[in-house]
Order: sequence, then C-alpha cells, then structure tokens
Amino acid sequence: MIIISRLLAKLTGIVLAILVIATINFTLVHSAPGDPASVIAGQSGATDEKFLADLRAEYGLDQPFLVQLGTYIGKIARLDLGYSYRQRRPVTDLILERLGPTLMLTLSAFFLSLIGGVTCGALAGLRHGKWSDLAISLVALLLYATPVFWLGLMLVLVFSVQLEWLPAFGYSDMRSDSFGPLAYAWDVAKHLFLPAVTLGAIYMAVYTRLMRSSLIEVAAEDHVKTARAKGLGEAAILRGHMLRNAALPVVAFAGLQVGAMVGGAVVVETVFSWPGLGRLTFDAVTARDYPVLLGLFLVMSVMVIAVNLLTDLMQRLIDPRMAVN
Amino acid sequence: MLRRDFTKLILASGAAGMAGGLNPFGDGMAYAQSGNGGLTAIIQPEPPILILPLNQQIPVGVVGGKIYESLLSYDFDLTPKPQLAESWEVSEDGLTYTFKLVEGVKWHDGAPFTAADVVFSCDVMLKEVHPRARANFERCESITADGDYTVIFKLKEPFAPFLLAFETSSAPIAPKHLYEGADYRNAPANDTPVGTGPFRLAEWVAGSHIRLEANPDYYQEGKPHLTEIYYRVIPDGAARAVAMETGEAQLSQFSDIETFDVSRLAELPHLELTTKGYEFFSPVLWYEPNLRREPFNDVRFRKAMMHLLDRQIIVDRIMFGLAEPATGPIASTTKFYDADVANYDTSVEKATALLDEMGLTPDASGNRITIHHLVVPFGEMWTRLAEYFRQAMSAGGIEVVLDSTDPGGFAETVSNWDYDTTCNMLYQFGDPALGVARSYISSNIRKGVMFTNTEGYENAEVDRLFSEAAVQTTEEARQELYSAVQKILVDELPVLWMTEQKFATLHDTRIKDLIVSATGVNANFAEAHYAS
Amino acid sequence: MNETLRTFLSRPAGIVGLTILGLVCVVALLAPVISPGSPWDMAGMPFARPGEGGMWLGSDTLGRDVAAGVIHGARVSLLIGVSSTLAALAIGVTMGAIAGFSGGIVDLIIVRVTEVFQTIPNFVLAILLVAILTPSLTTIILAIALVSWPPLARLTRAQVMSVSRREFVHAARCQGQSAVSVLVRHVLPNAISPIIVTGSLTVAAAILIEAALSFMGLGDPNHMSWGYMVGAGRTVIRQAWWMSVFPGLAILITVVAINLVGEALNDALNPRIARS
Repeated sequence: MIIISRLLAKLTGIVLAILVIATINFTLVHSAPGDPASVIAGQSGATDEKFLADLRAEYGLDQPFLVQLGTYIGKIARLDLGYSYRQRRPVTDLILERLGPTLMLTLSAFFLSLIGGVTCGALAGLRHGKWSDLAISLVALLLYATPVFWLGLMLVLVFSVQLEWLPAFGYSDMRSDSFGPLAYAWDVAKHLFLPAVTLGAIYMAVYTRLMRSSLIEVAAEDHVKTARAKGLGEAAILRGHMLRNAALPVVAFAGLQVGAMVGGAVVVETVFSWPGLGRLTFDAVTARDYPVLLGLFLVMSVMVIAVNLLTDLMQRLIDPRMAVN
Repeated sequence: MLRRDFTKLILASGAAGMAGGLNPFGDGMAYAQSGNGGLTAIIQPEPPILILPLNQQIPVGVVGGKIYESLLSYDFDLTPKPQLAESWEVSEDGLTYTFKLVEGVKWHDGAPFTAADVVFSCDVMLKEVHPRARANFERCESITADGDYTVIFKLKEPFAPFLLAFETSSAPIAPKHLYEGADYRNAPANDTPVGTGPFRLAEWVAGSHIRLEANPDYYQEGKPHLTEIYYRVIPDGAARAVAMETGEAQLSQFSDIETFDVSRLAELPHLELTTKGYEFFSPVLWYEPNLRREPFNDVRFRKAMMHLLDRQIIVDRIMFGLAEPATGPIASTTKFYDADVANYDTSVEKATALLDEMGLTPDASGNRITIHHLVVPFGEMWTRLAEYFRQAMSAGGIEVVLDSTDPGGFAETVSNWDYDTTCNMLYQFGDPALGVARSYISSNIRKGVMFTNTEGYENAEVDRLFSEAAVQTTEEARQELYSAVQKILVDELPVLWMTEQKFATLHDTRIKDLIVSATGVNANFAEAHYAS
Repeated sequence: MNETLRTFLSRPAGIVGLTILGLVCVVALLAPVISPGSPWDMAGMPFARPGEGGMWLGSDTLGRDVAAGVIHGARVSLLIGVSSTLAALAIGVTMGAIAGFSGGIVDLIIVRVTEVFQTIPNFVLAILLVAILTPSLTTIILAIALVSWPPLARLTRAQVMSVSRREFVHAARCQGQSAVSVLVRHVLPNAISPIIVTGSLTVAAAILIEAALSFMGLGDPNHMSWGYMVGAGRTVIRQAWWMSVFPGLAILITVVAINLVGEALNDALNPRIARS
C-alpha cells in the first residue's frame, strides 16, 4: 500500500516534470535565431520567396508563439510529438527507430561500467594498499579524467586502424542482410563493443573509486567485525555482509548518472556513427529541426526519470530496509 | 620538399595497415561484388526525402538521379544527349523547342510514360515546387503535347541556355497520374518515389541505408547492368574514408571524403579517382563582403583584401589540390570563360598602400580596422577557410573576428544582409545565364533569399550585359558580352573569387562506365558495369 | 588552517596535482612569452611530424604549430573551467543556501527546479544552449554554469540545513541578528568546505564539457582550445595522430591534476572522511 501511494506520488511528479521540461524546451528552442524554413531552403541550392512562404505556412511557423506552444502541449498529451519538417516524418517514428540503438548502447555501457566498476572496486578495496589496488586506482584516476571523445578516437586508432580487430563505426555490417540471426547478433555486438566501452569507461572509473572506498568503509563497520568474531569464513562475510552493503551507494549513484550518460552518448554516437538518439540530437541541433529537438528532449528526460525509478526499485531489492522507511 | 614528405607520409600510413600481416582489403574484395553485380555507395548526409521534384539537395540529387529522369543528359562539354527525349529540334528564331520522346517507357508502377507527364511536370508541378525549374519554365509562353510522344516548348523570347534546363535534377519528370490535383508536398505518392529511371526504391532504413534495385522494365534494352545500389549513410568523415579503404563502400562523391584523405585513398590499388562529372555544377568559391557596409563599399578595400589573400595556399593547404585558383566569376570549365582579366597578386605592400590611401592607418599594435567574418557552418573546410581569412587579413593589419552560427542562422543572416564578410560557393549549372548572373545582377537583390545577389552589387552596365547575353543565340555574340562583363566584375570585385572547386569521385577500379556525363554521380548509372 | 595545510601537504597525490596544475597555470599565463605570435599562424609546412621543421609536437593540416596550440589552448581551458565554475557556484550556492535556510515552500520550489534541471541530460542541454546562443566564450561559460549548478545547490542546501541546526546558529538568531546576516556570517562559513571541494571538481568537469563542445564544433572560433584541436585532428587521425593525441593528453593531464588537488583538499578540509 505504502509502495503504491509512493509510486502514485512519483508518477504525478513525473507528469509535472515533463510539463515543465516541455515548456522550458519549447521556449528555449523558439528563442533561437534562424528561421527553420530558411534552413531547408538554404540547403537545396536555390530558393525564392514563394518557396519559403510555402514552407512556413506548411509548418505553422506563421502562427503566434503561444498558439504554437499550446498546440504542442496538447499534442504531447496525446503522445503526438509532432512532425519533422526536415525529415518529413512524424517525430515519434524518428525517435522510435533510433531509440533501440541508444538504449542498447546506454544500457550496455551502464551495466558494463557498473559490473566492471563494482568488480574492480571490490578487488582494489579488498587488496587495500597493495600494488593491485594502486594499479586499479591509478587507471581509474586517469580514465576519470579522459575526455570521452578522445578515448573513443584512441580506441579506434588502436583496435580498428592498427589491429583491425573491430569495426571503427556503424551499427552493423553492410552485408548483415544476408546474415542469420546469430551472425547478425554477433555482428552488432562487434560494432557495439568500442562505443559501449568508450561510454562506459569513465563511469566505470567512477564506480570503481566509489566501490573501493565504500568497501573499505564497510569493512570497518561493527557488524562485519562481529561476523568475523563469530567465526564466519571470509567468503561468507564478503557475500553476506560486505558486498551488498558496499554496492548499495554505488547503485544509487549510478542511477543518478544516467542523465549524464545520455549526454555522453551524443559524443560517442558522433565519434562512432552510431545511429541513435544522440546522433539524432546533434543532427537536429545543426539543422534546427525544432520538432525533433523538442521530442528528443522529452524522450531523453523521460528515459532518465524512468531509470531513476528503476534504480529506486533496485535499491529496495538490494536493501529491503528502505522499503519500510 | 613538402611534396616528398607528404608522399612519404601517405606511404607510411598505407604501409601501417599492411604491416600487421592482414590484408585490409581481402575481406572487402570478397563481397564487394555482392556476387550479383551490386554497388555499395556512400551517401552523406542522408536525404530527407527521395522525391526529386520536391527537393534538390545534393544527396537527393545523387539517389533520386537513379530513380527519376529528365529529357536530356549532357556530355562532359555540356553537349545535350538523349535521355527521355530521343531527339529534339530548335527553331531558327530560337523560340520553339520540339522534343520527340522515347516510346514504350513505363513508370515504376507500370503506367505508361507519355508527353502528358512532361507537360504536367514542366508546366504545372515543377513551377509550383521547384524554384530553379520555375525560373526556366516561366520563360515559356506555352508547353504543349502533340500526341503522346511530342512536347513543344514555346519561349516568350530566346533564351540561349534553355536546353540545359532538362538535366535530371533541374527538371525531374514526375508521374502525372500520381500527382495531378494533389497537394504536392503532402501527397500520398511521396511515400514511394515513382520515376522512369533504371533503378527503383527497394528499401529505405532511415539512418542506415537506401537500397535501390534494378528496374526490370527499363526502356533501354539490357540496362542497367548493376543489379542493385546500396547507399549507405555514414555521417562520420573518418568512417567514410575507412569504408572506402576497406572496400565496404565502393563509391564516394562530392565532399564525402575529406580533401586530405583523397590523395591517400587514390593511391590504393583498388580505388580510382576522377574529378570529372561535375562540369554541370562547376562551383566557384569566394569570400563575400557586404557591399552595403563600410569599408567594403570602397573598391580599394576589396582590392587590398584580394592582395592579402593567396589563392594557392587555399588550393594547397585547405583543398589539398582539389581546386584551382579562380580568376573571376565564370569557372574555366564552363563556356564563355575569359582568362583575360585583371590579376591581383599576393602582396602585402600593395594592400597596405591601398589601405593607407583610404586613411586606414595602423594603431600602436599595427591594427588598422576590425571586421567580422561569418563562418560557414557546413564543415571543416569552411572553418579552415575562415581561419585562413583571419590570418591573411592580419598580415595587412585588418583584424578579423570570427562569428560562428548554425545552418539556419547562416542562411538567415546572409540572406538578410546582416554580416560583414562571409564565404560562399555557388554552382554554375552549365551556363553563366543560369548560375553566374544571379549573384551579380541588381534585379536579383532579394532580401531573405539565399543564393541571390546577397552582397548587394549594383551596376547597370553589368545588368545590361548579362541580360543581353542570355537572349543572344550565337555563341560568338554571347562570348563577347560575357568577356566584357568578366572584365568589369574583376575590376570591381563584388566578391573575392578564390577557387574553382573540384569534387573527387572515388570508385572501385573494376566498375566501368560509371561517370559518363557532366552530371557524373547524379546521372542514372544505367551504363555502369563491372569489368568482365 | 595550519593543520589543513599540513594535511594537504602530507598527501603526495595532492603535491603532484598541485605541481602539474601550477605548471599548466604558468604555461597559460606566459603563453605569449613561451610561444610568441598567434597559435593560428601557419608557421610551417602542413602535416609536419613531431620534431620536424622545428615544431616539436608537429603541425596540423594548415601548417599551424600544434605545440603553440596546446600552449595557448591552456588559457581557454582554464579560463572557461574557472569562470563557469564561479558562475555555477554563484547560482548553486545562492539557490542552495536560500532553500536550506528558509525551508518550507521556497525550499520545495527550489528543490523541484533543481530536480528538473538534474533530470535533463546536461551535456545535451549544454549543446542546445550554446547552439542557440551561438558559440562564444561568454555563451559557453553560461551554458556550462547552467548545467553545473544543481549538484552544488543540493550540497549547499544539505550543508546549510545541517549547520543551521547547530547551537551557535540558534544563539546568533536569539541575539536578534537578521536572517541574512546569520546565513552569511555563521552558516555559510561553516558549510563551505565540502562546497569548495566539489567546486574544484566542477572545474575539471567544466574543462571536459568545454572540450566536448569544442570537439563537436561548438567552441569559440576566435580562441584556440584543446577540444577544438582534437576535433580538427579527428578526421586526419590516420595521417597525423599527433594532432589529436597531444591536445587530448593536455586535457587529460590538467583534469587529473585538478582531481588530485580536489581530493587532497577534501582530505584536508573534511578530516572526518579522510580518517576513514
């Protein structure tokens, strides 16, 4: 019951946030210099006034600002994100077809970084002060300071240009049409590897450091000492007491990082030509594709809220005490 | 010295790939032919639509040019060749153009193609939706069909380059039975392009690729030879180069491959480079001052800027040889070019002398004046051009502040004349009357419209020469007028012409007869085939 | 303060960080002396390898000296990192202090606004802001500040709330001091050390955001910056690895140094955490 009412409260919060974000974005995007009609026209090589006027009329750009905003919010309520005048397709379609690759990339990077970070952090924490701890901490320190685009480029330089082990860009091979399902999955996985590692690396560094200090802290807590005094084996103590407690703040923190991760995906998708929402965002910004931008911002924010909710639930799973509180 | 080191560099980077004991091309070669004679090409950016009559951006022209056709095609020297018209006649007075159409042509949906489609396209639909076609066909008094296979265009007054109006993306013929009476931009027919071309749309996966397949009912017996064309969307420049290098893609065009990568890729044994096939476009690139503003309204200032710029540096370091210094407004690859014009050598002394004469004296830090330059937001080459401009001007004590913008802001700022200087590049469309006059005649000063006389140049004599040259029917008379106009323009420098741009087409060496016309990669590829 | 300094100096990592950071600052300040002339000058031949033609980090596609670019780029990175952090601190600390100190409806509103700002993917928002406002030093600083303040606001709010509960604050209030004066004189000074630590880490994050913006072509075209250089070198990575490797390393080293300093500061200023 408590959980349901909490969920309801969260849901109303989400609706409110979406409304606020929608209004902010719309105002922001429309204060931009540059008229969308002239963007399309500017790239077709030759233009005249009639052509521009046609385009403006077609997209309602000649309506007053408030009318456009009202229409926009009304449409969102009906899950209609508008129509891209540049791509000549509904925004919902554009986003949906790019959603898969971005989810795949972000989630792979998320789990990669979380699992990698917790593992490395635990290793470092358990060998506190030894050379392996130092090595892991040093790598984490460097990774944390590496610009994500540069890391991507260096990985391409090593693994695609020099070693030729992995493809440098794209989502799947040109020939993938003729592949069986297994070969196709393998192909996509190969393409996914470098972008996911690039995007995940920095977060992995963060989680490693967090897990390490968290584990060191937990190890010093009373109940661990008690368990040890009771004569429990080290492995049992690690499983039963330390890891779960230490991982908790890491998971909580990771949930909050998803927003930043989606931002990082913009850069990574640009470096690797990954056909996701990030790439779409950059293209939409450069092309002043207003409806797409507005839709993207909404969808990305919703994604972040959803992941935050998920993290909340995960935390409850790991630590049942929180459900009561 | 420079050249040798550069070659060494290219060789070294090529060798690095081989050194690992891996053949970087082995994989690509095996599938390049797709076992069935297909072609994989790069397309960038992804076209927003494939309906060529509605949109003529470069990528739409490239892909749409395989699906749609027009009446004519053009040789490298811009001589018309038959396409949907098998023959044509021009009356003595230059007013009546009669085209005899190929018989038995079918649209991709099976409907027959007739003169009614041509009349509908040129007289109705394109006039509504295609700015360049509208300008051409508004010169017609009437466009009529005579039977199913003859179309007659009657002009109001002679227009010398009228035959150039029938290039595929200038006048793509649209199916009347699908568009008549429709709201063209929102017609249901826009979901699937239907043309008469040798290829038709098979599949379009947005963000990934467009697959065209051979049209089995194509009217030219035995063509096309290629079974399919994959256009792969690769937004990243480095990734495009890799795709060409590995053979994953076999054709790149326009600016797909960054200039500095072209020579490296051209050295690879499996790739062939050509700069032919862009004669119809022949773009000229220039720095554009806003003549409405001080100090650009003073020809001495423009001359000083010209003396500060070194066109050869742009050719060598920014275009990496894929350009030639321009001498004036008309590209040397098009008709009526005249090299006999004033020459501005690179000379800081001459520039500073002119600036001194204007009273622009240097202050303590050597700075004479500060101007702004709007950076063209279409990629690295343009950024480099802006950076070079700033450095070149600083040698003469002219400080340049770069303003950056996005494509929307750029079009709006330039077309509303709200800039000091910027850079621009315009296609010539095969004839000065089509692609050159528009930048200099005062009747084309149109606020809010891009690719017009945005710099605001006004000269009655230039107006007169251009308008007379357009209606003359003999080449000699036209040459005389265009020679005169070139002299005046180069003396007055309404814009600072820098280079005649070349585009690089790189393709797999085994593909033959790919580039066969002045519209190169925009043509229909009906004749392209693999060497046997 | 003495003990703080001693703790700080007892951390070798902090010393290393401080030394590197000091070097970077010196390079930035003395850039016109170390590398006279403009970094945009086409000083030599294009594509010179490191060491060739007197350019020890090589040259770029136009023949500009990469070393000169790296040296002058330090100015932009540090300037943007510090200014945007100051701006973010101004927004964040103000919002957080008001929220934490006043509580009630004001607190609720500020918390909600902060949450909304934290929900929006912040790099995407930064791209959007810079693109809309057109790239220049000011707009980049503004955009980075606008996406960096929420964590500072949250932290300040939490700090202010916990400090406000302490006795000396009550005492000051009972003495009849105005709310503003209590906040400024008693609460903030006692809440500030974790904020300083987070602020120093924000500088590092801001440098990374600036680099990413420049990399995507959204930098100020009038100032040579590291992100711009990596972006310009990206497409020629096969011909001229040095164009993207060195500026990237410069970013990496600077950010590492700031992080090391930040951590040592943390240890010094928050001794309780340092001990565990």
